[in-house]
Amino acid sequence: MRIIVCIKQVPGTNEVKMDPETNTIIRENVPAIINPFDTYAIEEAVRIKERRGGEVIGITMGIPAAKEMLKEAISLRIDKGVLLTDRKFAGADTLATSYTLSKGIEKIGEFDLIICGKQATDGDTAQVGSSMARTLGIPYATDISKIIDIKEDKIHCLKITDDGYEEIEIKLPALITVVKEINMPRLPSIKTMKIAQKSEIEVLTLNDTDADEKRTGLKGSPTQVRKTFVPVHEVSNEMIEGTTEEKAIKLSEILLKLKGKVK
Amino acid sequence: MASINIIKDKCVGCRRCIAACPFGAIEVVDKKAVIGEKCTLCGSCTESCKFNAIIFERDEVENIDLSEYKGIWVFAEQRYGQLKNVSLELLGKARELAEVIKVKVTAVVLGHKIDSLGKELIAYGADEVLIIDEEWLNDFNDHIYGEIMVNLIEEYKPEIVLIGATSRGRSLAPHISSTVKTGLTADCTSLDMDLEKRLLVQTRPAFGGNLMAEIVCPYHRPQMATVRPKVFKPLKPDYMKQGKIIKVKKDPIEGFVKLIRNIDNEEGINLSDAEIIVSVGRGIGSEKNIRLAQELADALGGTLGSSRPLVDIGWMPYSRQVGQTGKTVAPKIYIACGISGAIQHLAGLADIETIIAINSDPDAPIFKIANYGIVGDVSEILPLVTEKIKGLNK
Amino acid sequence: MPNNFEQVYGEFLRDESRQVGYAESIVFPKTEDEIIASVKEMSRKNIQITTQGARTGLAASAVPFGGHIINLSRMNKVTGARYDRENDRFFLKVQPGVLLTELRKFLLNKSFVTSDWDEESLEALKYMEKNQWFYSTDPTEASASMGGIAACNASGAKSFRYGSARDHITGLRMVLADGDVLDIKRGQYIAQGRDFSLITESGRVIKGQLPDYDMPSVKKNTSGYYNKPGMDMLDLFIGSDGTLGIISEIEIELNKVQDACWGITIFMPGEDKALDLVRALRKEIRVNNIDIDLYPSAIEFFSNKALEMLRIEQKTNPAFGNIQEIKESYHTAVYIEIEGDSDEEIWAGVEKLGDIINSLGGNEDDTWVANNPTSLEKLHEFRHACPECVNMKIDNIKKFYHNITKLGSDMSVPNDKLKEVMKMYNTDIKENNLEAVIFGHIGDNHLHVNIIPRNMEEFERGKNLFLTWAEKISKMGGAVSAEHGVGKLKVPFLEKMYNEKEINEMRRLKKIFDPAQLLNRGTIFPYVEGEK
Repeated sequence: MRIIVCIKQVPGTNEVKMDPETNTIIRENVPAIINPFDTYAIEEAVRIKERRGGEVIGITMGIPAAKEMLKEAISLRIDKGVLLTDRKFAGADTLATSYTLSKGIEKIGEFDLIICGKQATDGDTAQVGSSMARTLGIPYATDISKIIDIKEDKIHCLKITDDGYEEIEIKLPALITVVKEINMPRLPSIKTMKIAQKSEIEVLTLNDTDADEKRTGLKGSPTQVRKTFVPVHEVSNEMIEGTTEEKAIKLSEILLKLKGKVK
Repeated sequence: MASINIIKDKCVGCRRCIAACPFGAIEVVDKKAVIGEKCTLCGSCTESCKFNAIIFERDEVENIDLSEYKGIWVFAEQRYGQLKNVSLELLGKARELAEVIKVKVTAVVLGHKIDSLGKELIAYGADEVLIIDEEWLNDFNDHIYGEIMVNLIEEYKPEIVLIGATSRGRSLAPHISSTVKTGLTADCTSLDMDLEKRLLVQTRPAFGGNLMAEIVCPYHRPQMATVRPKVFKPLKPDYMKQGKIIKVKKDPIEGFVKLIRNIDNEEGINLSDAEIIVSVGRGIGSEKNIRLAQELADALGGTLGSSRPLVDIGWMPYSRQVGQTGKTVAPKIYIACGISGAIQHLAGLADIETIIAINSDPDAPIFKIANYGIVGDVSEILPLVTEKIKGLNK
Repeated sequence: MPNNFEQVYGEFLRDESRQVGYAESIVFPKTEDEIIASVKEMSRKNIQITTQGARTGLAASAVPFGGHIINLSRMNKVTGARYDRENDRFFLKVQPGVLLTELRKFLLNKSFVTSDWDEESLEALKYMEKNQWFYSTDPTEASASMGGIAACNASGAKSFRYGSARDHITGLRMVLADGDVLDIKRGQYIAQGRDFSLITESGRVIKGQLPDYDMPSVKKNTSGYYNKPGMDMLDLFIGSDGTLGIISEIEIELNKVQDACWGITIFMPGEDKALDLVRALRKEIRVNNIDIDLYPSAIEFFSNKALEMLRIEQKTNPAFGNIQEIKESYHTAVYIEIEGDSDEEIWAGVEKLGDIINSLGGNEDDTWVANNPTSLEKLHEFRHACPECVNMKIDNIKKFYHNITKLGSDMSVPNDKLKEVMKMYNTDIKENNLEAVIFGHIGDNHLHVNIIPRNMEEFERGKNLFLTWAEKISKMGGAVSAEHGVGKLKVPFLEKMYNEKEINEMRRLKKIFDPAQLLNRGTIFPYVEGEK
């Protein structure tokens, strides 16, 4: 089986801090990491490969430094990394990103399955998976929480929805996005890190693909960010003081008053 | 090719743009700003510059005739013949936007045996309802539903399409937008009209809610957005209101994804619709203390919620998780017990009238947004409050 | 009214050792003056005093057996800072009730309540901005109090590199049994041979002679009073289990955080091979002529039974669902933590570590490498899962046999006795037909053997076995308590390590500071009434 995993480099969200004085995000020393949701995609692809044989190829669109992230993905046991990088790709929204990734995937060639994380932690749009499948003209399903079985021509899995689960079957080749319930990603081993160290990352620029420049980057992006701002939470703030007993009494009184308004 | 350029003569090296850049892509070298390779052309820096030294050069865009597109659509999601609340909420918002640009609001509903929904959608604000009622539309399917929506959009040319950011909506919307090759903004928290440019201004959180971005889609139609449940309020239904119901016939489409069976949650936990939520976080201490929160919730007639860490360690089911990767909730009263208030959790709190926080850590960020705060041990305070509430209720 | 006292203050009659005692009165002083007032009153009435911090100790030091309790949990302020510019060293003054978790949070955010700080402290704080600092003593129980840490000379995993609490305490203020205060800085009072002389705040001179016994030559030891001719007298009070005075302020030295920190869990195909790996990491043996440039800050161990226990739990208990899958083929594990200036520097060492693992018959693929904070957290969870799992099992068995308490050892031996002591543990556990898991700080030959009794009879057998081990380990030149302190629980163990005369020497020393033996009576050695 040939499986492609789409990976994104995101800022290590755990460390996103706000500067209280200037009210801006402190970006210094925030390391770039593999989008946490993508680690589940990587692990699932590797598990399928370990069961059925084949190859797992990771692809990302990003700045040249994203090469290191692909190497890290190799230490998580994928076989190969492909980086799409070009100044012309900058400023891409989800549509242009999906298009560019699709063109990169076409360059990689035949595949059976594409796996993506359910969303990226920096944008949280959860659009690129579905959108890419559409551009490639293959079926897709989002939010997969379990692969029950995978055969040459179809995959049988569980999808999480707001109401519970759907048990579904998808014709291959197809694209799925996975949620964290699907597996527990393994850490790298010294051996896989050594393999990653020695690996070469394939780099593709716009000209290496069949992509139409007009559909990539800012130019290919229908949406524009007009403004960004830091949200302000203004609330009337009251700390309830006193002994534990007094606090409890005050809180119960407040709750009953509020509850009266609810009903 | 588009680019952001610094006009060296104007730049004074004040570093304001560095603070404004969400990607850390700007440096000051020799007292002049330099834009590095991390730049994603988001444009945040241009506004921050007080010296007009940053110029965003956009490419020429081919003109599309935007005037052909008219009207606001709401994709009305239903399941088992029951409309999702978010669709009704969107109708309310659509109504408001439509008044500004003087157009019709159309609800589009797909499924089987859904005749009765037309009236309801009109009562909640639609001027017109497109109903596609076919047996093969009984189960939701991204591809089939997506293709029909694409088809209808190409035929009717709406200028705005709004979709609820439910699990199905979030999966369906990109199918439509990428097929008609237009923009799509996910999880908007507010929608406004820029009347002058006749543009839908879509505000959404980025970086886990640390930053808000205003997004527009100037040269493509329709302008598409998804909105999370509970962000907007539905109108009071007016069942006397008149409207047009159009039944559209379509030929069957192949789906590629086969539904074998639905496994619905039995619990019937509906956090999104709860009026009172008592939510627990890591600060609850031990698993047995969850019972204390449940007891308070019971006494108040509320529902139990959770922050992510407790779901991660298996103390609480995912269905109770509030926050960015869980549910967005909008109760009247939200009681956060032992929840520190990480921005990812706050992202799940939509329009809440009163937030009450109990936490032993006086520096917990939750106190910054809470209306009432108590510094103290959750396991000591909760039983006392429950007892008092029970006593006063009698 | 003892009954009423127990109802209101019941929690203050026990600690993590799960022993329960009794007392008549308790105070929660907020200042040193309040401690002094309470001590003077008790001294006048001749009532014994038990001092408490966060009650997380495992040796029952904080469990009272009659008398009065002074609980220091409300003395929880960081009171000042000091920066030694010349040597780039940073110090903090803390009250004994500050919790380790709180201290870590203050340091991480570089945020302190400074309203009561003096000029020097405020000035020092400015130098903190440049670097990230941390406190290196890291007992597994992070809710421990700073006073408790000093009193039992706690250590933790990273003591392999950084040493124990003793190595990072540069000053103490103590309230003595008569209410006088002793303020002692490192380097201030050095014993002349065995003779020492100290001056209290009131100007009283305390002269005395150090006991006549030798301490074992192990790195980790907190078994009885620290004692060496020519020693710094500050060291006597660190690890004295609250028997010489009540700590009212501690000055600790901080360390700079290094830019890179990795953790690696290594699974070896057998225990002997795991021990060889430990010895290679300590550079005691050279494997296949590979030179390894790797200096771990911690070397930890998980026995085959410990892995087996976790393997079963992780399949059934969601609380352990977050730990990595422990394969059936994994036999024994060694965990190391490495700090360095850069990832590249650490990687160079790790690459060679892989070769050593292979040469020892292991497989470098049977490793979990964490090279960022998120994955490091996962390995920490794995490490903490061991004691948590044991506690859970003990709590379960306690439902049937109320008198069962935790049976965890805390003994250390010299480096060359590592294999011998492991053999002893394994043989004795097997011969006594007991279930036990072994984990802990193997870098310092300091392992926690946890016996999990299935009934009362096994519990008694386990307790006896510990006593036998105390004797055997003392003979190996080891220490019966490496980091938990002797407290009250391990008094019988100390009696295996030191003879009666030596124990009497300790009692004699205590009486120099506390003639009526009011402070933490029955801790370290039994209370003997009478003779002066």
